[in-house]
Amino acid sequence: MTIRLIGYSASYPTLRVIICLKELGLPYELEPPASYQSLKDEDFIANKHPFGKMPVLFDGDFRITESRAICRYLASKYQGKHNDIILIPKDVHKAGLVDQFISYELSYYDPPLSKLVYQEKFAKKFFNKDPDPEIIKQAHEELAKVLDVYEKLLEGKEYLNGEYSLADLVLCPGTNYVYGAGHSDLWDNRPNVKNWWSRLCNRDANKKSFEEIKSFWENN
Amino acid sequence: MVIKLIGYAQSLPTRRVILTLNELGLSYELEAVTEIHTIKTDDFLANKHAFGKIPVLCDGDFKINESRAICRYLVSKYQKDAKIVLIPDDINKVSLIEQYISYELSYFDPPLTKILLQEVFNKRRGEPIDEAIVKQAREEIEKVLDVYEKILVGKDYLNGEYSLADLFHFPCAHYVCTDTQQGDIFDTRPNVKRWLDNLRNRDAYKKTYAE
Repeated sequence: MTIRLIGYSASYPTLRVIICLKELGLPYELEPPASYQSLKDEDFIANKHPFGKMPVLFDGDFRITESRAICRYLASKYQGKHNDIILIPKDVHKAGLVDQFISYELSYYDPPLSKLVYQEKFAKKFFNKDPDPEIIKQAHEELAKVLDVYEKLLEGKEYLNGEYSLADLVLCPGTNYVYGAGHSDLWDNRPNVKNWWSRLCNRDANKKSFEEIKSFWENN
Repeated sequence: MVIKLIGYAQSLPTRRVILTLNELGLSYELEAVTEIHTIKTDDFLANKHAFGKIPVLCDGDFKINESRAICRYLVSKYQKDAKIVLIPDDINKVSLIEQYISYELSYFDPPLTKILLQEVFNKRRGEPIDEAIVKQAREEIEKVLDVYEKILVGKDYLNGEYSLADLFHFPCAHYVCTDTQQGDIFDTRPNVKRWLDNLRNRDAYKKTYAE
């Protein structure tokens, strides 16, 4: 039975799951919702996501929501089955550190990043609001401080926990957006971060996923 | 070797870890941090937490930070020796628990934190409470709790059986009950109230909050 992913590939939490599916070599069907408004319909809330959000994943009868929880599920169930990519290590200490880095992404990296994604990519196009230069400036400065820390964390390492893991994957979609929206200096001005991002961009799953998004933005 | 926890017992993330340690019956030493500047030193940033935060847990030579990551680590390592199941073996059940943990992070905590910032932390610093923020946050959490009220229909715990997801929700909710004017939001929803009362009555919770 095929995996069904409900979401817009342009929405970066959905893209997070798409990258994860591709990394694990899993086929899936993407079902875009009719509209953003349809996420608040009673039917969607009752049967898909009680908070009216995407993505939502169906694996047979099993339904799961929230992009990072979906990725953890896919990794736990399928990693190593179609290829030898391991997103969550078996070793309890390594897995603990991967969790720690995922928490850094949630707590420190994503908040300023998501503000920039919204302001630079979504505000005008989808919500007819002009980007707010104050918010952009403040988020850019906050993300710069976070990336100063990542520069140290990546010293002598190819990926956050040494080997590629879910900790690196989770921040790829949002980073791709902000990097391409006039903020590339944040990553390019820091050698360890620059190399790490370059490495991530070279991964097949990211290349394919970012290509798919490019055509979405060109056609909408 | 004893587990060392660097943190502040009343801080919500530290409470999360202490609850987990108590649920697993693990002994530990708390190295209390009472002054913010001690966690912003070059040494702390280099050797304990790169972003200058607490809690940090040292288990022998292994060091880990971020409260939810610490708790998952403790469960992975020590649950098999404990009399409790915080994260079950079944992949589907675990994944739904992770989903509820994500709901806690995304929807439950943010408005409650706004309320705490105003009614507890601003008050403590002698700064005025912004009633507009409290009102907006209250409206936000009420909508969230309406969803939780439905999730908890016919269930004592979020995923049916008690799990780490329930534990993670408790510190913030409890703090709002005990130290702010907004605790009634939980009492007026019978399923939510039953859920929090069940948690409050667990031995590990009584022990944690008595300390």
